[in-house]
Amino acid sequence: MNNQDYFQLLQDGLDDAMAIAKMARRRGRDPTTDVEIPLAVDLAERVEKLIGIQGIAERIRHHEAEGLSREEAALAIGIDFAEGRLGAGASKIESVESAIRTSVALLTEGVVAAPMEGIARVDLGKNDDGTEYLKVYYAGPIRSAGGTAQALSVLVADYVRRSVGIAPWKPRPEEVERYVEEIGLYKRVAGLQYSPSDDEIRTIVRNCPICIDGEPTEEEEVSGYRDLDRIETNRVRGGIALVSAEGIALKRPKLKKHVSKLGISGWEWLDSLASGKKDGGDSTPKFLRDLIAGRPVFSHPSRPGGFRLRYGRARNTGLAAAGINPASMLLLGEFMAAGTQIKVEQPGKAAAVAPVSSIEGPTVRLLNGDVVRFDSDQDILEWMPISCKDPKTIQIALKAHVSRILDLGEILISYGEFLENNRPLAPASYAFEWWAAELLKAGGDPSGKESMDGEEAIALSREYSVPLHPAHTHLWHDLSIEDYDLLREVAASKGILESGRLILPLEAKESLETLLVLHKVRDGRIIIEDPLPFLLCLGIDWEGGSLKRRAEEAGGEPGGVDQAEDSILARVNRFTGIVVRARAPTRIGARMGRPEKSDKRLMRPPPHVLFPAGEEGGKGRSIQEAAKHSTNSSSGIINVQIERRVCKSCGKEGFAFNCECGSHTEKKRVCPKCNIPAPEKCPKCGQETNAVADMQIDVKKLYFQALESLGEREPESLKGVLGLFSRDKTPEPLEKGILRAKHGINIFKDGTVRYDLTDLPLTHFRPDEIGTSPEVLQSLGYGVDMHGDPLTRPDQVCELRIQDIVLSRDAGEYLLKVSWFVDELLAKFYHLEPFYNAQTPQDLIGKLMVGLAPHTSAGVLCRLIGYSPASAGFGHPFFHAAKRRNCDGDEDCVMLLMDALINFSMSYLPAKRGGKMDACLVMTTILNPAEVDKEAHNLDLTPVYPLEFYEATLTNTSPKDLEGRFDLVSKRLGTDQQYEGFNFSHATTDIAAGPKNSAYKTLETMIDKMDAQLELARMIRAVDEQDVAERVINSHFLPDLIGNLHAFSKQKVRCVKCGAKYRRPPLKETCPKCGGRMILTVHEGSVRKYLEVSIKVAEEYGVSSYTKQRLQLLKMEIDSLFKNEKARQTGLADFM
Amino acid sequence: MLQISPKSAKSVPAQGRETVQRFAEQGYQLEPEALEAICRYQGSQEELFRRIIGSIDRSLAVIGMQHINGLIQSSPKNGIGHAASTTPIQRRSTHILPASSRTPSRPSFPSASRTPPSSIEPSASEITLDSAPSDPHTQGSAQLSCDITGRSTCVGEYDDFVCYFRDRYAKIREILSRRINSRPIESLSKSTSGREVSLIGMVLDIRNTSKGNRVIELEDPTGMIVAVIQKDGEAYEESGQIIPDEVIGVTGISDGNGRIFVKSLLWPDMPNQTASLEKGSGHAILISDLHVGSKYFMDEAWQRFSDWLNGEADDPSGLASQVEYLVIAGDLVDGIGIYPGQQNDLAIMDIYSQYEAAAGLLNAIRSDIKIIISPGNHDIVRQAEPQPALPPEVQKYFRPDMLFVGNPAWVTLSGISVLIYHGRSIDDLVLRLPGIAYANPEKAMIEMLRRRHLSPIYGSRVSIAPENEDHYVISHPPAILHCGHVHTVGIARYKGVAAINSGTWQSQTDFQKKMNIQPVCAVAPMVDLATLKVRKLIFA
Repeated sequence: MNNQDYFQLLQDGLDDAMAIAKMARRRGRDPTTDVEIPLAVDLAERVEKLIGIQGIAERIRHHEAEGLSREEAALAIGIDFAEGRLGAGASKIESVESAIRTSVALLTEGVVAAPMEGIARVDLGKNDDGTEYLKVYYAGPIRSAGGTAQALSVLVADYVRRSVGIAPWKPRPEEVERYVEEIGLYKRVAGLQYSPSDDEIRTIVRNCPICIDGEPTEEEEVSGYRDLDRIETNRVRGGIALVSAEGIALKRPKLKKHVSKLGISGWEWLDSLASGKKDGGDSTPKFLRDLIAGRPVFSHPSRPGGFRLRYGRARNTGLAAAGINPASMLLLGEFMAAGTQIKVEQPGKAAAVAPVSSIEGPTVRLLNGDVVRFDSDQDILEWMPISCKDPKTIQIALKAHVSRILDLGEILISYGEFLENNRPLAPASYAFEWWAAELLKAGGDPSGKESMDGEEAIALSREYSVPLHPAHTHLWHDLSIEDYDLLREVAASKGILESGRLILPLEAKESLETLLVLHKVRDGRIIIEDPLPFLLCLGIDWEGGSLKRRAEEAGGEPGGVDQAEDSILARVNRFTGIVVRARAPTRIGARMGRPEKSDKRLMRPPPHVLFPAGEEGGKGRSIQEAAKHSTNSSSGIINVQIERRVCKSCGKEGFAFNCECGSHTEKKRVCPKCNIPAPEKCPKCGQETNAVADMQIDVKKLYFQALESLGEREPESLKGVLGLFSRDKTPEPLEKGILRAKHGINIFKDGTVRYDLTDLPLTHFRPDEIGTSPEVLQSLGYGVDMHGDPLTRPDQVCELRIQDIVLSRDAGEYLLKVSWFVDELLAKFYHLEPFYNAQTPQDLIGKLMVGLAPHTSAGVLCRLIGYSPASAGFGHPFFHAAKRRNCDGDEDCVMLLMDALINFSMSYLPAKRGGKMDACLVMTTILNPAEVDKEAHNLDLTPVYPLEFYEATLTNTSPKDLEGRFDLVSKRLGTDQQYEGFNFSHATTDIAAGPKNSAYKTLETMIDKMDAQLELARMIRAVDEQDVAERVINSHFLPDLIGNLHAFSKQKVRCVKCGAKYRRPPLKETCPKCGGRMILTVHEGSVRKYLEVSIKVAEEYGVSSYTKQRLQLLKMEIDSLFKNEKARQTGLADFM
Repeated sequence: MLQISPKSAKSVPAQGRETVQRFAEQGYQLEPEALEAICRYQGSQEELFRRIIGSIDRSLAVIGMQHINGLIQSSPKNGIGHAASTTPIQRRSTHILPASSRTPSRPSFPSASRTPPSSIEPSASEITLDSAPSDPHTQGSAQLSCDITGRSTCVGEYDDFVCYFRDRYAKIREILSRRINSRPIESLSKSTSGREVSLIGMVLDIRNTSKGNRVIELEDPTGMIVAVIQKDGEAYEESGQIIPDEVIGVTGISDGNGRIFVKSLLWPDMPNQTASLEKGSGHAILISDLHVGSKYFMDEAWQRFSDWLNGEADDPSGLASQVEYLVIAGDLVDGIGIYPGQQNDLAIMDIYSQYEAAAGLLNAIRSDIKIIISPGNHDIVRQAEPQPALPPEVQKYFRPDMLFVGNPAWVTLSGISVLIYHGRSIDDLVLRLPGIAYANPEKAMIEMLRRRHLSPIYGSRVSIAPENEDHYVISHPPAILHCGHVHTVGIARYKGVAAINSGTWQSQTDFQKKMNIQPVCAVAPMVDLATLKVRKLIFA
């Protein structure tokens, strides 16, 4: 099947589903009579549909045809608005607003919610000289646009401002200072990636011709510059901080480039800003910051024993996912599973863990003293005397036999990651592929030479003048000169060579462990197999079985004056006469971030239906309880705010979507102030109209009618919502909730059912690992494997098509239930044929779904082709990038296509800021690799990294300099090659290898997790357990203790009966609303929770006395709050 | 004293409860007449209590008039004279080792002797005003009347919070009810519809309606009511001053259905007076916020101050020799872990070493100056207010004659009552009230006096410990209200009360620079206790 056929297949499937969905919606039992998700074939259309102004798509296509880059096109669109080519007839302000929104939408691929939600409004202000200036109100969701789009939105605003003749902003001095204070405050409460200096902020605010204004986003208020005339709020406005700091200041170079290109004057001040480098450069590495209890540190930064950097890409890595050997995942307390986020030292901030079996695993010292390396989970099982099938017993067995983790093994990171992060290449570990490239260049044939014995390795090196084979290269660079000399001395004088094994006394052990020389300990003696390369590197001759120190081939005897400057590797090289490369010059520090996720999306509390249960529904928001509720005069009647609808044909008012007379009803919007009916805005006062009405509704009747019409029995529980949050308070039909409750699925705010999964990339798969047979795959268009051979066996490797996905098995179970719900809904509610007819999760293979990421508004059509035991959602890098996700531990959701088409309605979305995020406002049907997040364009597809690359890493070359040497997605765009012919450099046997879930999820209590974390810290050579303990206390326990202590003293109180919350305890003992009993919301238990354990850990791990004192003070304070100093006198009141 | 007496009769029940409890703790019950007699006793309750306990037969269960008659009759004048002369210093000096042989195990001041038996009324009955100024022996007498030290009752239950707020309500209600004839909220039923009524309520919520009116939810222990202040009504402008959780009086028309349309508002406020009701002698220096241990602590300025006090510096006006008291209203040291990243701002990382250093500075001050130390949010006591005095293990570093008090604390300096409060609530007031800024903290202090409450707003910056009593209530006017915390100097006279915020000895920190806080450093307000006139002495 070629790509056109594939896309046609998707399109046909979509058309079929759409036809059925339209039929269902035409029944008139939903807020509108048509499907509400508009489809978009490309970026231009997506932007137009998101903004809702005719002609935008055409202009975008026009600019693209002229060869403008995305950013240039965004500015050009601004000019189109300014010059009236778009949005004709709009006012000045409206054109500026549309221009900004459109350009931001274009810059964010029309996917994220920022253009709609991140820009609240645009307004005019008055300068002190009487001229008018432009204010752009940014809101919190502007964050999702990213720095570049934020910065350019200001430039667009300026450009349009000039064209329509609005003066620049002239801030008053106190306004400038307000920004300085406010941005500083925002950094403290919410955090900023980059914080400009105060003077830089002053420069920006004084000179920026647009007033970057914003809605208040934080509770905090500024304290210095308050109550300013022209700034409406004293609260912190997150938008201004983001746009000024992460936008203009951080993206200054990019902004500057566009300013000069377009020749816009008035932006010369950009030059006086600092270079716009990200925060950092400080010695404490960021990845260790804010360490959380229970999430272990795997390696301190760049420490011997940490992850060794190996370059390459496996079929399940790239796009911020890093490869780890499954044995490492298992050995490190099972804290890493496929999809677990790890925070790393470089190249990016975080990565998702992906199991790669072809890289080296961890090296450990066993309790008997043996030093062994585990390259697979099988290795571990073999070494363990107890056979352990149960993962829990593996951990017990490991604890019983492993005394120290000397080395974590390798981490596989691709060249593309360094390119994406624009990070200088770190020196590569000397690995087989590098050696192979060198041998090949020297005229040898590396095939089949992954391993060989030491003698052969030395011979090969001598014959071809290539470096020593990596399997025999030890970590000489980790050893000190003194230890090297000592080891050499011990080996020469006390070592015995006996039938090919080297026997050494125990005093050599520490150095051998540093070098990662594998050995056994028997009868108090160290036994090293295949020791010849080791002896060679130590400068020891073994002629005739007797060991002798040999003189250096070049240079004088050791011990000379210049020895201090001598690198150990240079020394080894002089002794051996062949090149010995650094085995692990780059170690990557890492700690666990977020655990992987594969779970249904639940609102809190989780409803089955968006229907108000009112106060009568109780705390459980139960529709059934509301139906049972009775007063003296009536039963099942509740008072709610709900949408008022009116029947087109008979004029009857109510809230139902279909009138008793059979017609579809329409919203009746009126102005809340003037009571004038109008569809959008009041013609008199201009206020937005709405259809909200206070109604008494008979839930009991509705509920039983719904059950009867469906022919269903009462579900065990049917949960609605307390009240509706949408603008018109539109309820869903109760029938939908009854069916959802029957199948045990829950609804999200937009009316759809969601399943969340951590994103993992996948470019190739094997039928057996996704549980789908070759036959089925053939029917889905997978005729051949990656080599072009017909697909017949389950272990062949196939290239994944770009809109195909593999989900977790648990997702399959849940989606099956969703399909039952959809089928019953079609049959019993819409009176149509069932659509899915699935009996097992396997029956859903080949079905279409929608992928949607948080903070975005554009779904992507996708097709399910299999299930994996891993707790993650695998998709093509392009698919993830189309949702603007990478795979550094982010998660997003899938929905069944039919569920989204039938049940989604704009009418359900909350009216509050950000309400339109995370809803499928537009759907991308055919994925164009050119129009996805650019990060995916840096994916490298080279099967064999070139030798120049490895050599270049030694000099910290910029990855940009080597772009020509790699096969990158960016070079294939626009050709058929962009869809297929991808390759990878490292094989892996199973994309779901290793633990299925992180220990962080399987361990129950926080204390268990923390114990495991500290235990691991003690075991790992690359981790300083005292530092871990200190960080856990300082960044998790202390803030928690202090936070809860403050919360206790300032707490709200709650009524147990009606759930009403009060800012402070009322004077009346009982709830003023309902007379119920009042309770505290913060208790002693939650304040004390971590006190004892913190003190214990502080003692046990010897943390600093400063931290210990802080804990003592907190203990004193907690005791003072919860212990009565004055013993209470009982019965005293009686006596009085 | 004079203005207190009519009130003290009223407060017998509260004081009585305290007395009953104290006797009950010793295993005695009191006959009502005996209780009344004890409560009416004009001398030191403490003295009386000890005398009674000391003389009573242990086998007795109920104490009647006959048992105490002799003790009460013993000349009250003697009692007063005795109490006045047994100031803490003198009393203590008989028990305490000489300062030179300070021992770490110096017993802390027995709590009974620092705490008068009456609940909140400091009732100053230990000292009579007429005798104090004229008696040269009272020089240097400083006495703690009331604070929380050793008396915390809080155990963190819901009832604690209710008690705390009810106590606030009851005490301020008492002040207000002298000027307004109020009725309980639950009594405002249908029958009151259209009638003018008054009530005293605690503010639960304030909001503005879309029509521009202001709506206040008021409650008392009987119920809740919505007070509507119409935007063109007389009370509208004033109502902008209402803050959450304060107790105010309201007069207006009831609609008989849970609403009242407000005509006028009443704050408890101070009695109208211009001169102080108390007269003392000597001079006191009021300081706060030393932040010893911080990199920003102003060593040199402090040294100038200390030298001046000790008569080692030029002092043409001879002011230094007149100083008898040095009051420190909190933040003696910078503390540890008060804010994130504090370790980078510290010169001394160990909290105890910080106190040792602070003690070194204070111990060097000439020994006839009485030093009173109250804690603040940087000190080694609980953050939740009211805060107890510095703990014994810290007190041991200091000269034994220093007086350690809680926060807030009522202290009497040779007859002058001083209310010391660190001033955390100024943060809340600055945020909440228009026209109040860090640059003029005295305005915030006047707001405290007007509301007869040191920290009305609950749930904002100030953490509270829900004690049985609300220690923040200013139940009678002090001569001096002394605050710190905001690092700026502010001095004002409000209805006879001298409100003084005493600045800091810490130079501007980077954080303050960012927050636009301009501290006033190394300025020491000096009060003439006879006239309550204040001089600002500058050592910067």
